[in-house]
Parts: sequence; C-alpha cells; structure tokens
Amino acid sequence: MKCLLIASESAEVLFHWTDPEFQQNIQAQYGASQEEGQGLPAFEDSISTLFAPIIISCSTMVDRLGDSYTSFTTENNHIYVLHQFDECLYIAVNGDGEEGEDDLRRKIYVMKKIIEVLFGMVTLSSNLLRRELRPQDTEQRARLWKHLQSLLETYSHLRENDQSFLVEAVERLIHPTLCEQCIEFLERRLVQQLNSSVERAREEVLHAFILVHTKLLAFYSSRNASTLATSDLLALIIMAQNMYPSNTDLDDPGSGHESFYTPEPSPTDRDSNKPERGSTPVFEFMDPDIQMAEDSLQTLEVPPPDPSTPRRVFLEISGKDGLYPMMPHSMYCLPLWPGITLVLLTKIPTNNVAASVYKYLEAFAKLEKRLSEGQEGSAATRGALTIHDIRSKLDKFIKALGPSDLQSAQLQNVWTEFKNRAFARGGTGFNKDLIPWCKNMKTQLCGIYRQCFLIDSGPGDIPQRLSPGLQERAQTMVQEKLMDWKDFLLVKSRRNITMVSYPDFPGLIHFICVDRSTGQMIAPSLNITERTTSELGKGPVAQFIKSKVWSLVSTTRRFLRKGYSTVTLRDGDFYFCYFLWFENETGYKLEAGDIPILPDDSAPIGMLAWDYYRKLLRYYSKNHQGEVVKCYELLTVHLGVIPTEIILQHCRQLASKLWEPSRNPLL
Amino acid sequence: MAELIRRCSNFFLYDGSKVTGEGDPTREGICYFYPEETPIDKQELLCGQLAGVGRCVSELSSSPVRILRLRRNKYAIHMKDDFFWALGCSVEVPTVSVCELLDQLIKLFCFYNGSVRQSYQLNSRETLAARWARYLSHLQSGSSELHHIFSCLRTIDSTNVDPLLLLKAALILQACQRCPLVLAGCILFRGRVVSTQMSPELTMKVMVHESETYTKAQKPNGLSSTSSSSAAVCSTTVFLTMSELQYLQSPPVDKDLRSQSTPHKDGPLKKTRLSRTLSDMASTESDSSDPGPSQSPQKMSFSPCFPESDNSLFSPAPSQSAADPLHPPPQSPEPPFSNGKHSHEAEEEALEESYYQSFHSNGDGDSQIHNKGDDSAFEGNSHFNGGGREGDTACGTVFDFRGGESGNEESHDDKEVVGDSGRAQGQTAEVGDRPPCFGAFNNPEESPLLPMTLYLHRVKGLVMALLVEPHFLSDTASMEEVYHSSLASLNGLEAHLRTISPGAPGAPGPYIFAHFDCIQSTLTTNLSGRPGGAPEHPFVRATSLLHLHFCNTETLQEAIIRSAGAAVYGTRSVAQETYFQQHGGSLRNSGIPNHQDSAFSLPSKARHRLLKHGVNLL
Repeated sequence: MKCLLIASESAEVLFHWTDPEFQQNIQAQYGASQEEGQGLPAFEDSISTLFAPIIISCSTMVDRLGDSYTSFTTENNHIYVLHQFDECLYIAVNGDGEEGEDDLRRKIYVMKKIIEVLFGMVTLSSNLLRRELRPQDTEQRARLWKHLQSLLETYSHLRENDQSFLVEAVERLIHPTLCEQCIEFLERRLVQQLNSSVERAREEVLHAFILVHTKLLAFYSSRNASTLATSDLLALIIMAQNMYPSNTDLDDPGSGHESFYTPEPSPTDRDSNKPERGSTPVFEFMDPDIQMAEDSLQTLEVPPPDPSTPRRVFLEISGKDGLYPMMPHSMYCLPLWPGITLVLLTKIPTNNVAASVYKYLEAFAKLEKRLSEGQEGSAATRGALTIHDIRSKLDKFIKALGPSDLQSAQLQNVWTEFKNRAFARGGTGFNKDLIPWCKNMKTQLCGIYRQCFLIDSGPGDIPQRLSPGLQERAQTMVQEKLMDWKDFLLVKSRRNITMVSYPDFPGLIHFICVDRSTGQMIAPSLNITERTTSELGKGPVAQFIKSKVWSLVSTTRRFLRKGYSTVTLRDGDFYFCYFLWFENETGYKLEAGDIPILPDDSAPIGMLAWDYYRKLLRYYSKNHQGEVVKCYELLTVHLGVIPTEIILQHCRQLASKLWEPSRNPLL
Repeated sequence: MAELIRRCSNFFLYDGSKVTGEGDPTREGICYFYPEETPIDKQELLCGQLAGVGRCVSELSSSPVRILRLRRNKYAIHMKDDFFWALGCSVEVPTVSVCELLDQLIKLFCFYNGSVRQSYQLNSRETLAARWARYLSHLQSGSSELHHIFSCLRTIDSTNVDPLLLLKAALILQACQRCPLVLAGCILFRGRVVSTQMSPELTMKVMVHESETYTKAQKPNGLSSTSSSSAAVCSTTVFLTMSELQYLQSPPVDKDLRSQSTPHKDGPLKKTRLSRTLSDMASTESDSSDPGPSQSPQKMSFSPCFPESDNSLFSPAPSQSAADPLHPPPQSPEPPFSNGKHSHEAEEEALEESYYQSFHSNGDGDSQIHNKGDDSAFEGNSHFNGGGREGDTACGTVFDFRGGESGNEESHDDKEVVGDSGRAQGQTAEVGDRPPCFGAFNNPEESPLLPMTLYLHRVKGLVMALLVEPHFLSDTASMEEVYHSSLASLNGLEAHLRTISPGAPGAPGPYIFAHFDCIQSTLTTNLSGRPGGAPEHPFVRATSLLHLHFCNTETLQEAIIRSAGAAVYGTRSVAQETYFQQHGGSLRNSGIPNHQDSAFSLPSKARHRLLKHGVNLL
C-alpha cells in the first residue's frame, strides 16, 4: 500500500506512482462510489479525484493560515506525508507499515532530487516544470512517468537492501591494489585517450568511474573538474542501477530486483530491448506548438532509442566563484558485463550558458526577495551581484543567443520591458510593482535554459555526443583491462568485507563506519539472501539483524535531529552504539560541539537528497576557522552479554583504526 | 496561563451532521471552539478544512484520522459518528501526549455528562461549552512538563509525609467500603492524591470535580472558612463504562490478576492491592512486624465490602446486578461496627479492624499470586469470600427486608448535608429524571455508559471522593453511616496533612531524576516545582524523546543519549521508567567512543543514587 503523488496547486496530477496494492485499493473505492457511472475511469482520473480535496485544502491552508499540512496518520497506521516545493505538492502514502514518516519524507526529497538531476534549473520555474512533468501527449507522458516510476522503485529497492543507500554514502570495493591499478588506468589510458580524440565532439570527460553493482571500484576526476558531490554520485548510481539492474536473481530467487518492478504492458518489447530500456531519451520534450506536428509522426512507431545517446544530467559544480547547482553534463553509462558498468560524465561545450543563466536567475531571485520584503530603491539592489552589474552582461548574453528563435525573442521582450520599468526615467523604479517582472524574467531565463539543455536538437542534426565508435572503444578498453577480474569482482562486491576479518572483536555482530566529509562508508556485507551461509547464519537470523540495523539507523537519525550525537541502546539481546564526532585533518579528535536541533518535518538526515552533513560541517567549522574539519559516524551492534566497557573499547578501536592508511590505503 | 497557551493552542468539537447540505454554514456544526475569542471566520476555516481533510483521508484509508500535522501545529484527532474532535498543540509536544490529552478530555466529558450526542440534545451549547472549557483548563493546569509527558496523576509528595498518614487514608477508604453501596474511593489533599482505590484514569476523572468544588468552596468563603462550612458533602451523577464498573465491582484479588498481564515480577504486584497505599505499607512491613495473632485470620480475611460483586459475578440472578438501578443490590444490614456504639468509638474500631483485615487479605493475596496459576487464584478468591459464609447468609436474608425499607425512605434527610450540598442535591434530582441508562444505547458498538454517583466529603483542603451506587443518596442510613464513620478520621487526617510544610522540593543534589510508575501512573522526581521543569530544559527534552522511543520499541530496556552539554540515561521495566542526568563534572568529551567517558557511568550512578529515593534499579 504505497503511493507517491505530485500535484500542482490546481490539483492536476503531475506524476504518480503506486504499488499494485494501492492501485487495487483506489480502484475498489472508486468503483464502489461510482457504481452507476459508465465503468471505471482511467486510474489517473480516480487518483486525482480522490486526492483533490486534500490538495485543495492544502492550498487553502497556505493561503489563509500561512501554514501547511506535513502529515496525517490514521488509526490503522496509514501515513500520509505532504511537502510543498514551490507550487508542486508531493504526497507520499504508506499503508502497509513498511515505511515510517521519516522514510516517506525522504522518498519525497529523493524524488525531488531525481527530478532536479533530470530537469535542472527548469525546476526553478513551477510553470515550466509542470509542463515538463505532464506532457500533453499521453504517450510521451506515459513514457516519462514510467521512467520516473522505475527510478523511484530502483531507489526504494536500494534503500531497503543496500547499506550504502541506507546511510547514504558511497561504498568502495576494498581491494587496494586493484583499485589503484584501475584508477591509474582510468587516468592514464582511458580519460586521456578520450579527451584527446577528435571524435569527442567538443565534449570533455570530467569524471570516469567503474561500478560493481552499487559499489565503486575506481573513480577518477580529471584535473580541471570540480569535485562530484556525494549527493550527485548517489543519484547517478541509482540511474545506472536503473539502466542496468544488478541481476540478483542468480543467487537469490524470489527476492530479486526484477520481481520488484510492476509488470509493464509489453513484456516482449521489454525483454528484447532490456539493456536499452533505460536509455530511452527522456529529453525530447517539445514546445506544445511544435509538438502538434510531431505527434502525427510519432503515432506510427517510436524508433528504438539509440543506446549511444547520452543522458543529460544536471549536477553541482563548485567553481572558483562559488557553487553552481544543476549544471548540464552528459552521462554515458557503458555496460561492461552484467553488474559491472563504466560511467563517463562529460562537460558539454555550451556549459557556460548554464552558468550565466544561473547567475542571472540568482540576481533576479535576490531582487524579488528584497522587493517583497518591502525594500525599495537602492536598498533593493544592493548586494553581491546586482541588477546593475548584470545589466550589460545580460544585454550581451541575449544578443549572443541570436534573435532567430522564439524563446530568445521572448526573453528579449521581457527584458526590455523590465529595463523600461526599472531603469528608465518614466518607469516605476525598484518597488513592489517590479515583482511580477522579476518572476517573468526568471521564467524566461528558465525557458532559455530548457531550450539549450533539455530539448534535443532538430531531427536533422546529429546529436551532440561522443561518437558511438569512441564509446565502444572506451568500453572495450576497460573490458580488456578487467577481463580476468570480472568474476572476482562480482563476488567481491557481495562480500566486500565480512565480520570474519574482525576476530579481535568478540561479540561484535555488525558495524557501519561513515566518513561524512568524503561521503564514503565501510560495513561488513549483510548477505541475507545468499544461499551460502554467512557468519550471521542463514535466513531469519540474518534478516533479523538486518532489520535491527535498519531501524537503528533511523532511530539514531531521530536523536541526531534533536542534537544527540551519542546514543547507546540495550534492546533485547543486543547492545547498539552510535557515535558522531569531528576530527581535524591530522586525525586529532575535536571537542564535541552543539548540534543544531531540527524540527520533525525538516529535510531528511542524509547525503542523497539534501546534504545534512555538509551543513553540519559548515556549522561546526564556524568555531574552527582555518582548520579542515572532518566528520565521522560509527554504528555498532554487539551481543548484549558483552560488558559495556569491552563494547566501548571495541568502538574506540574501530573508530581509530578503520580509516588508518595501513589498514585501508585507499580511504 | 502561559503554560496553558503553550500546551494547547486549539480545541474544537465539530458536528458534521449539522452541515450536510451545500448551503449549510460551517458554523452550524461548531459545537465548541477554544479559544472562544477566535474570530468566527477562523473557527469556520479550521473546522471546515480539518474536518474535510480528515474525512477525505479516512475514506482513502478506511480508518479515522488520528494525527494531523501542520508545520506549526499538530492536532490529535478523534472521529466518531459525525463528531470530529481536534486538539491542537505546538509541534514540540510529543505526539503521544497530545493524543492522550484529547482522549482524556473526551473521556472526562463522558464521565460527567454521558454520551456526547445526548448531552447536546439535552443541553444548550453554551452550558456544554463551559464544561469543555473547564475540563480543558483542568487537564492543562498546574503540573510540570514532566507530568504532561507521562500524563500521570498528581500525588502528594510521599517523601514528606509520615507513612502512617497514608495508611490512615487507606483505612478510611476501606472503612467506607463496608457500606455495600460504596464501590471505591480516593482521598485527595489540595488537588493531589493521598490514597486511591480506583484506577489512575478514574482517579484523574474524579479529581476534576474535586478541584472544581474546591475552587468554588474557596472563593466565597475566602480564608475565613469555618469548620462547618468547609466540611461539606455533595454529590453528582457520573457515567462509568461497563469495563470500569466491572473492574470496580470485581474482588480485589481478581483485580490484581487482571491488571497484571505479566505477573512474574514482584515489584508491581504489591502496588495494586485493595488499597495501593496501604498495601505498599503492609507488604513492606509484613516482613518485620508481628501479624497480630489475637485476630483470627480466617474471619478477618472476609471482606464485607464486596457481597454484591460476588453476586454479580457468581450468581446468575440478573435482578441482583449492581448495574441496574431499578433493582437495588443487596445491602448489608447494619455495618457490624456501628452496632449500638458511639460513632467515634466505632470508627476507631473500624480502623483497627480493617487494618488487620486488609493486612491479612494482603497476605492472602500475596500467597495466591505467588501460586501464579489462574485456577489457584480463582480458588483463592472463593476461599477469600467464602471465609465468612455466615455473613453471606445474613446479607441475603436481610436483603428483602431492607429493600422494602429503603423504598419508604425516599425523602432525603438533609440534616447532615451542608454547604454546597443543597445545589448538589438539586442537580442530582434533575439528573435522576433522565432515563436510567443514559446514553446506553447510543453507540451499539461501544459499551454503554452507566450512571453512578460521585459522593464528595470535604474537610477544608481534604476531600474524600467515593463512587457510590445511585440510590446511595436515597439511603439515609448508609449515608449517615459513611459520613459518621469517616468524619473524625478525615478531620484528623486533614489536620495532620495541613501541618506538613509543602516541602523544599527534595534536595536538588548533583543530579536530576524522574521515575514513572506505569501501573500507578505516578511520577517521582526531584525536578518538579523548580523553574527548570520547562520543555526547553535539556533533561525534560531528553526524557520526552526517550519516553517516546520506549513507547515505540517494546524490546528496548536501556538508553543513553548525549548531546554536547548533557547526557541522560533512561531505563525501563514492565512497570516503570526511570530517567537520570548527572550534573556538573565537565562533560568534556569529543564524542568519540571512550569507556572512561562520564556518560557511560550513568547507569551505575543512577542505581546508586536513586536507592535513597526508593527507586531500585537493580
């Protein structure tokens, strides 16, 4: 009984995902209440009718009370979590007890993150985003929603089964020599060769990494690339997993990934195109005007998508002059073998347009904020980058876009109007009347951004990308390099490290250690589904420990949210510990500081959808100026019979040794 | 007042059946809205939106909404038939507490008014609005944030009171129970429980009326209240649920077994005996003191208080059911102790007798419980009452005779009733006109509410509240007997309790603790009364979080949580929750695991320190 719904303020469904149970429930209800009607209406209609009163009440509450719903709980423990981002209302529902309020809120934030990665700054304009999420063409809408639904399902599956998505940090394969070799290979051979090829079509490979299932074997960033944020990397792993799902069926019949998907209408098509399924180009939205003509063409048959077409993804860049969120990249996901994937991220040649658009957007947003706060005249335009500063730049920018197409002509018009009002002698100047024009400018800028980065070039053009031949060469190179290792890697990924390697810790059942500064984690594998017996035993026992670990993580997050950085729990036959602490670069343990207390409905604690730890580090670093501060977390599960002193000693040893270079040269 | 505002920001009762058509204004459905001065537009907005969303969600999930959260407020919701209750608090208040508060409020209303639907048919909205307001203010007034977290009873600080006084209070109640029309009672002093024979929930409900009459009695008389005007008897009709009544009518041993789902721990068991205060005393002293061999245990273990419950439980005759007011239950002829004796003497003797009686019944109960098996306990039970077979017979024979007599004595003898009693009597008469099972068949799926009478005997700040059969008031002899048997003792108890200084709030000490007894719903803490009881206090905050976590995780036994400034240890068993924080001693730490860290020595410190507060964590 699960559902996730995105709706506009006018109760229009912009996206929905439901599990079969929820769907049946809705259909049963709708059928019952509309018995004399003419048969069951489309599912989308039922869901929108049933949720409409809630959605409308939400906007009434915001308008008239300035407050909004965050959650409902019913007596049979159905949970509804609601969150409004701009004009989009997200509602997540659980009726089977498998997800709590925190899980649902996290799901909502992750969905928003996925949409940001896919649509970039278009998400900053609710108007445009609404059109993107709900294409008028029903076939196109079905395709997009199916893609988003499958991404959401992939995420949910990973969150429920993969420790790295539980704690939202990247897990590396622990094999120092091989990892080192691979990184060197990516740097010296692969990226160098790709970036010096003429077939790269002015794209530049910034990052290259090899995934074995969800674990990172090697990661290389070129010298002029900015760091890839953990949040983005995790989102990319979800996308890669969605394209090439790890085939868990082999060692785990019944609970595999495939069975997790809701059946699709045309299974034959799906089976035959399986590797390509995820590579369906998402970004083929047209202006409604153009679309009319296109629709008639598309009625025949959608041509199978070209697997060599990259995906457009929007990722954060930290430039010299600050952070630029949602900058366009191309993502090439090249399957090496089932379960092993090479991912290339390239910078596209028109990247700088996006950076400019972002700067202008920021300037107009700031201006709008000040004006709506009641500041007028020069007070409103003061600041780092003001309207005055960007005026001439924006003029030049529009000129460079060329007046030929519709979108830039519109931008030109609105900008001229804005200038007349704001700067001309007869204009109104900087006051509240300018607010709608700020909004208008933002919408136009988002429109430009959309046109530049979301819409495919015309049908005649050769799409902008690394040439298929070049991609193939890259694939083959890495395949050759890893040929002898592939079977080892697939096994290693399932049993990365095991508790057997920790004989000095009697009574220790499990642990997870996370370096929040780098977004990486180490934990023994929990092989709950494998046929072979692990040291945790088979089946129920391992499953029990797993569920304990999962609930421990959510518990400690609740305490962390309220400012508690150390938690120990004696629960049944187990003793759980959780520690969060700070160190400086040399490994010196810094004194515990106050941790901000957050409201219950604040963004989820983690790194995927919203990087809590980055904020935490910034907050903590205020009192440690000029020092590089690192943040670590340790969770342990011990047998309850072990004396507390011993348990704490274990924790201390783990905390100090785990990241020691001698143990783990790569971390 | 500030606390009142902080705890509950909104409360309303909305009747959806009044707003069914398109044109019906929302205000028609608003039965009560707090704060009353809220503009009607806003009232309509909140009621309309929340009730609307509530209904929509309930339909989607086929289950009523329980909690509805907004960014700045959270609402506990109760939906029943067409009624929609919402109690809004700030988001900091733990959700369980808000829900509990709303349940208490609704139950309180039903306790004093019967079914909600019928109350609104019989009374004006204004009248009932005043009652909702009263209950609401009672529930939020006075006690500290810790009390709110645990929704516990306010009790007198037993560390300041001579245990003999608690024993005395318990004995007074037991003496009253000799009258078969008296079901159970409690003694309160200045709004705090001294001794109670009722469940915590019922005691809490009774206390509302007490505090109300107390403020009424205080206001007109001021400080110059003489003994005659401050000692008053009054009564009011109350409504019990079937299960509450059955619990009250069941014999004490049976009560124990039913209230203890896990009777393997000795700790909690001793606390729910006939009278908890008394049994605490008795069970602790029984080891050391001489059981008084001159008394025959067999004879004394017969409790004359429960003949009618025996009937209702063990005899199939429906006419004997205590719940049926048309057929008065059997009554004991003459309480044994008042036989031709001066009432004061009799009372003294009664105290003595019932001390031994309860002492032995206690012993009996203990031995039964140690047997553990249900069968043996049941056997013990029959043995318990069968001990006085002669008494039973006497009861039966006199019943017929007495039944006729009480019918003749319809007219009230108001001689003894002074002060507020005039009004109370009038109220009772009014109530008496209502159908006997008021609201009984309103909600067929819910147990009917059965009318009973709450009898209050006040001696200045001290109140004895008894739940009695409705026809107790028309039974002059019983009333007189109860009144006289307790008057002197109540006066004495009041005089003693009055002299006890309110007590320096415990020695603050280098630590804070809170100990919650889940069975008795009482809280012991050295924090209350001090300004630090506010929710922003680190200890209160941690306690609230841990309590919530204990509630949600059945298997959790112990927890330590630590922020940069404070470490709090919490532990719980089936019967209790204890929280402990150590002051001072720099919490200098880096947050890394370190077994020398002071936070991890909290469990042993708590064990050691709390022993002197009577809290045993071993």
